[in-house]
Amino acid sequence: MRIGIDVGGTHTDAVLVDGDNIISSTKALTSVDVTSGILEALENILSSSGVQEDSIEAVMLGTTQFTNAVVERKKLSEVAAIRIGLPSGAGLPPKIGWPEDISRSLGDHSYMVHGGTLYDGRPIAELDWSEINKVIADIKSKNLDTVAISAAFSPMTPQPELDVAAQLRREIPGVNITCSHSLGRLGLLERENAALLNASLLKLANSVVSAFADALRQRGLKCRFFVSQNDGTLMDAEFVRQFPALTFASGPTNSLRGACKLTGLNDAIVVDLGGTTADIGILQGGFPRESNIVIDVGGVRTNFRMPDILALGLGGGSLVTDEGRSIGPQSVGHNLVTQGLAFGGSVLTATDLLVAAGKATVGANQCLVTLPPQTIENGLNTIASMLNDGIEKMMPSSDPMPVILVGGGAILVAGKLEVASKMYCPEHSGVANAIGAAIAQIGGEVESLVCYQDMPREHAIKKMSDAAKSTAINAGANPKTVRIADIEETTISYMAEGTTRLRIKAVGDIPTQTKGALL
Amino acid sequence: MKKLGSESLTDLSIGAVFLATGGGGDPYVAELITRAALDKFGPVDLIDPDDLDDDDFIVALGGVGAPTVSLELLPSINDAVDTLRAFEDRFGKKIDAVVSFEVGGANSLIPIIAAAGMGIPVVDGDGMGRALPEAQMMTYPIFGVLPTPAVTTDYRGGITEFHTKNILEFELEIRQCALSSGGMITSAEHPMTGKQLKASIVPRTITFSVELGRILREGRGKAHRIFEPLKTLFANSIYGSVHHLYTGKVVDSSTKIIGGYDIGEATIASFDGSGPPLKINIKNEYLLAKINDETVASVPDLITVLDYETSTPINAERLRFGQRVTVYGIGCPAFYRTEKALNFVAPRCFGFDFDYQPIESLISSASPT
Repeated sequence: MRIGIDVGGTHTDAVLVDGDNIISSTKALTSVDVTSGILEALENILSSSGVQEDSIEAVMLGTTQFTNAVVERKKLSEVAAIRIGLPSGAGLPPKIGWPEDISRSLGDHSYMVHGGTLYDGRPIAELDWSEINKVIADIKSKNLDTVAISAAFSPMTPQPELDVAAQLRREIPGVNITCSHSLGRLGLLERENAALLNASLLKLANSVVSAFADALRQRGLKCRFFVSQNDGTLMDAEFVRQFPALTFASGPTNSLRGACKLTGLNDAIVVDLGGTTADIGILQGGFPRESNIVIDVGGVRTNFRMPDILALGLGGGSLVTDEGRSIGPQSVGHNLVTQGLAFGGSVLTATDLLVAAGKATVGANQCLVTLPPQTIENGLNTIASMLNDGIEKMMPSSDPMPVILVGGGAILVAGKLEVASKMYCPEHSGVANAIGAAIAQIGGEVESLVCYQDMPREHAIKKMSDAAKSTAINAGANPKTVRIADIEETTISYMAEGTTRLRIKAVGDIPTQTKGALL
Repeated sequence: MKKLGSESLTDLSIGAVFLATGGGGDPYVAELITRAALDKFGPVDLIDPDDLDDDDFIVALGGVGAPTVSLELLPSINDAVDTLRAFEDRFGKKIDAVVSFEVGGANSLIPIIAAAGMGIPVVDGDGMGRALPEAQMMTYPIFGVLPTPAVTTDYRGGITEFHTKNILEFELEIRQCALSSGGMITSAEHPMTGKQLKASIVPRTITFSVELGRILREGRGKAHRIFEPLKTLFANSIYGSVHHLYTGKVVDSSTKIIGGYDIGEATIASFDGSGPPLKINIKNEYLLAKINDETVASVPDLITVLDYETSTPINAERLRFGQRVTVYGIGCPAFYRTEKALNFVAPRCFGFDFDYQPIESLISSASPT
């Protein structure tokens, strides 16, 4: 049996699954310390099912904390950005094209230094250590402890990034560093942006992973734990500490997969309403539609390979202003249950609109919410039009499609949306992403330097694809469901023509066990 | 005179990617720099070719090299202006207006940066009406405009002069220069009079590209829904008609930088795996589309790949395994079908062993999937 846990900005959900069966589910509030919310969810699920701790094989964690931090521009560390590339790129400093607010959150610490390489591996300029040491001294004087490093052509020649990172570690012991080459492919600005966002989340990642490990230990669970990443596969805890940005959109991926599982619909629009955002995605053949072009996270262009998700700043805890004409993107998040009007607080949230309209009830200790009718009407219209507009942007055609509502904030939708052919809000929909996390896929990845002169390209890809599939199967994926998810080729400088770094990823489902075998 | 300001840049970029037929480079970075230049210097004058004086002095300006390179070797804001200034300094001539090599890709924007910085107009039109990989394929030399005197600047600000009168030699020299200078340089070349320009330019393609971009942006949605608006737009243009070639999923795509070009092949299979796949040959641009070894479209006609879900055009270097795409073919401007032009742009000029046949003769019925 496995436990899937989803930590959202507002709620922490958990499900216990045995093969294909959902044994039990629970919803707790996300606590400030995160841990106690997870403990509460674990406690609920274990005690309600009566399952022994040692029959739990694995715990899968999905979390939107990192995405939310970027979208809300909260809990982000200030980051020094060092780009190694001058004299190329003058006039295009790091963070160009970023929305002003998130740029401000990371602080005004952009540095451009000489160096980097050309496509053929020759240096653009030699690293100038007096220039670099001046930058490091400035970073030190600002007491910054987090740095993102990027360099031209670093996926092919990472050495300049590594050299500057080593010098930083010598000068600033304990400094947190993200190098852009560790986040993949060509496209300097996008890769640099990904590195910057990742770096800004490193401290948060540390506390999130530690808190989760503590929570499991405290509850007596000794099994392995995994965190789901943006492509719907799992990564282990230490990896998350270094690459929290790889969890971007894992929440939506999980809720799309969960929505598919709950409804049996393979083609539909899924709206995941949380406390802070509404994430709109498209199910195609049972899997999230992947974004084709460039991924925007909180208004920042990145190069992650992710499901095509439109995130609106609209959730149960979103602040309502201007008499209902404006909602979000600021949200009270997990403080909804103390600060929301319906809970006796003093902040007008989106949830309060529904309660005041008599269309929803929340919690046990619900308070009466009275609002001017105009505010209610404006507010409900704002919610509907935000969702209709958002869904329209995502729809593959103007033909109405079924809409599946999932997530704790699903109560925000009071009636049928114009753009929907039919609306679904299935049982357990409130915990769809915990279900998605619990059924997350197992990936197998192989990477190797190949020379197409020695082995024809098709042969090399075939051979490596088979190896990736075996790796996934050996890691526990069901052989019948294993497929190739990604092929990435990078030509390598300084080597014989045709030398390529080939990276292939295969994914497959976790095998479903016989019902009740362990009960 | 028409003004071109930063509000038109996004549309111009999208239209330019469509017309770039896979090549021309991702204009995102160029768009960032152009926006910065227009914000600093204000909108530029977009002059109609007919409004130029016969004795005006015009220079063609753009980037030369492998498009993938500029995703990493970023341009600098001063590149364009520095190159034109270097031209004026070296050859003692005052430049009255600047014109684009090719409307496809980033080269539609680079002259605008220069025009903004120099305070001179940019001409509405270009030398290709699309994107093509080599200098001799431009309408300017085909009409007899000499490529030199010319100057290039590289990422270090290094200036190189060119003096050959032979266009093929010029192409070899400038390609060699780009290769040894990191893969991408900025070139000011093909100096010409207003009279020469009026005779040789593919006219009003900047305005057309902005309009094309507007239609793609406003019609965002499945590629087949954009087919009718595109048909109408192209029907009233210097281009031929639009044809649907294929819709499916990229099952294989590989491009590599070889000899200063992005070279490769993409295979697109139908969604349900039925029927033969479409194969596209790439040399910077999408040059040739084949089904079952039968050519369905070839250069100089335009082959363009759109994201199936959003109709966003996709460059060759952004084409990836798993993408769902629609491929359209479009008849090239009539000039490129003349014998004089086909000497430089026919499939044989790209190493393919067959003669050019217009797209409409290769495809009997044009219907969207």
